[in-house]
Amino acid sequence: MQTSTDSTGRRRFLAGVITAIQAAIGGTLAVILGGSILSPSFARRRETWLKAGLLSDLPDNEPTPVTVRVAREDGYAQVVDRQVVFLVKSGESNVTALSSTCTHLGCRVSWDPDSLTLRCPCHGGVFDRSGAVKDGPPPVPLAKFPTRLDGDQVLIQL
Amino acid sequence: MSFLDWLDSRTGYRAGAKHLLDEPLPSGVGWWFVTGSILLFLLGVQALTGLVLTMYYVPSPEYAYDSVRFIMDRLPLGSVVRGLHFFGASFIVVAALIHMTRVVLFGSYKRPREVTWITGVVLLLVILAFALSGYLLPWDQKAYWATTVSINIARSTPLVGEQIASLLRGGMNLGALTLGRWYTAHVFLLPGALVAFVISHLYLMRRHGISGPLTEVKGEPKPFYPYHAVKDTIAMAVVFAALLTLAFTVRAPLDPIADPSDATYVPRPEWYFLSLFQLLKYFPGPLEPVATMVIPGLLVGALFALPFLDRSPDRHPLKRPLITGAFALVGALLAGLTWLGLQDSPAQADPDAWGPVSIAGRDLAQDERCVRCHTTGGAANMLSETRLRRDPEWVLAHVQDPEIIAPGLREPPAGGMNTLSGRAVITYMRRVRTGSEGPQAGGEVKLASRVFAMRCANCHRIDGEGDGTAGGDLSHIGREHDAKWLREWISDPSLMDEDVDMPAFGDRLSEEEMTTIVNYLAARK
Repeated sequence: MQTSTDSTGRRRFLAGVITAIQAAIGGTLAVILGGSILSPSFARRRETWLKAGLLSDLPDNEPTPVTVRVAREDGYAQVVDRQVVFLVKSGESNVTALSSTCTHLGCRVSWDPDSLTLRCPCHGGVFDRSGAVKDGPPPVPLAKFPTRLDGDQVLIQL
Repeated sequence: MSFLDWLDSRTGYRAGAKHLLDEPLPSGVGWWFVTGSILLFLLGVQALTGLVLTMYYVPSPEYAYDSVRFIMDRLPLGSVVRGLHFFGASFIVVAALIHMTRVVLFGSYKRPREVTWITGVVLLLVILAFALSGYLLPWDQKAYWATTVSINIARSTPLVGEQIASLLRGGMNLGALTLGRWYTAHVFLLPGALVAFVISHLYLMRRHGISGPLTEVKGEPKPFYPYHAVKDTIAMAVVFAALLTLAFTVRAPLDPIADPSDATYVPRPEWYFLSLFQLLKYFPGPLEPVATMVIPGLLVGALFALPFLDRSPDRHPLKRPLITGAFALVGALLAGLTWLGLQDSPAQADPDAWGPVSIAGRDLAQDERCVRCHTTGGAANMLSETRLRRDPEWVLAHVQDPEIIAPGLREPPAGGMNTLSGRAVITYMRRVRTGSEGPQAGGEVKLASRVFAMRCANCHRIDGEGDGTAGGDLSHIGREHDAKWLREWISDPSLMDEDVDMPAFGDRLSEEEMTTIVNYLAARK
């Protein structure tokens, strides 16, 4: 319904004002609400150096599983993750920390002393002691964590 | 054929939108008629912000408070979202009252719009129920105690009061089951009722048309869109700007976590329930149901009955002096009671104003026996980040014998804290849970705080901290006594009063401790 005195131009102008204001309100709400919904998805975890064991306890060139306890914030809760990491000592003062999570679909790999490889029980992924893929479906090598030595103490960054 | 043409051919959405937007409005419909749209807009904002809050909120006494604290302190824009929701509740109550006032003054409830009015009254009650049920969810002191009062008001109902209270609590005590059912009401039942009655209200509004100006204004009817919609939109923008400003600039309050054993907390409801709270003071004892049931019941009953009490066709408020006068009188009484209630409300406590026991507890928690495990990458979280979830008895046992946390698994630190030190650490950790980092305390304040926590807190209190009441509250002791008097009294009170039970501390405190605590107390004006 439109009266004869109302111009189409005025009607269009008012419709434009309505659209602009509602877009501004909707955009503001979208930024605030969308921001608070999406931001946790992109939050980075605080990384800390954790004690992983003594260098002198590690055998040469053999991945040794150690369990590291990581206390962290899980949203509103405080939780403790227990992560298994393979420490590989090579030389007198060099140690590498390998993730125990298979890069294929996330199963846990374990050290097979017979074949001298890290093997994934799920789909047959095989990694060598440096974490490189030897066989099976894993697309990339095992993740490595930064390490440093504090005397004999091995520290890894998780 | 474009996609929209195809969609229209299958759904007919263009005709539907045209039907919704082209409602002819009588000439002279002005800004008074934007109140309903503002209310609808605010309800939409509440629904959206509530949706986001629900993603992070946990309805259990163990986690509810921490999840709200997470929203406020750690979630980016979380405090704004909660601010929009918290202040939005007040905006809605104000908008609903303004809308109702407009409808009463314009006589818009009259025939044939009686049922539209009734659905509106139901919506007002649903909005108040939203506000009431939303209260409990943060599980802070205000939530706990204001809900306790609310449930006890329901309990004063004759004959069935106990049953109603049990139903609201989900048992004999306010706890996990109460929180669960109030949460369910807030996010499932009440939204369902709200949507149903909003749709009914809007349907009836369209069915009968809006009542329009009090006196007929000559001119052609105009379609709702864009001629009135632009007024609605501008009003929404103004209200939203005010709400947004408030949400960005004022932090929505969150008290310390609910503590059922705290006898010092003075509960006060939100401003929109203050009139009822104040009314209770004038009807003590057996007359209480008059304030809790009879008067509110009569008011709500009168609102429902209004279209049937006022059946004259006159719409001008001055031609209906009885109705207009009664409405104004009730409004003035409610405003007056609210004002009296506000005058009587305690000031909001500053969460960063720590008492001496918290400060001493923070100092004690840096003891090497604690930080050996409570450290980054250690066996336990840092105490400055740890939320006290265990009951105080467990924590007290733990600080006195740290091995209790994992018997046999680790070598416990040698020694343990005494009870007073342990209580100070617990007080500190309660503060940590509120998200407050506390004041920067200098050496003298730290020493005075430690002396108070270790020597005085068994019998005295300062700023609500300390376990004892036998010796009195020392928060403002400096107003009554100077440093000289305090030194003599603390050294040996029996020299000044033979009957006093307080022991002499002259031999127990070093000169530095004595001087520091005396100066600290004398400065407390």
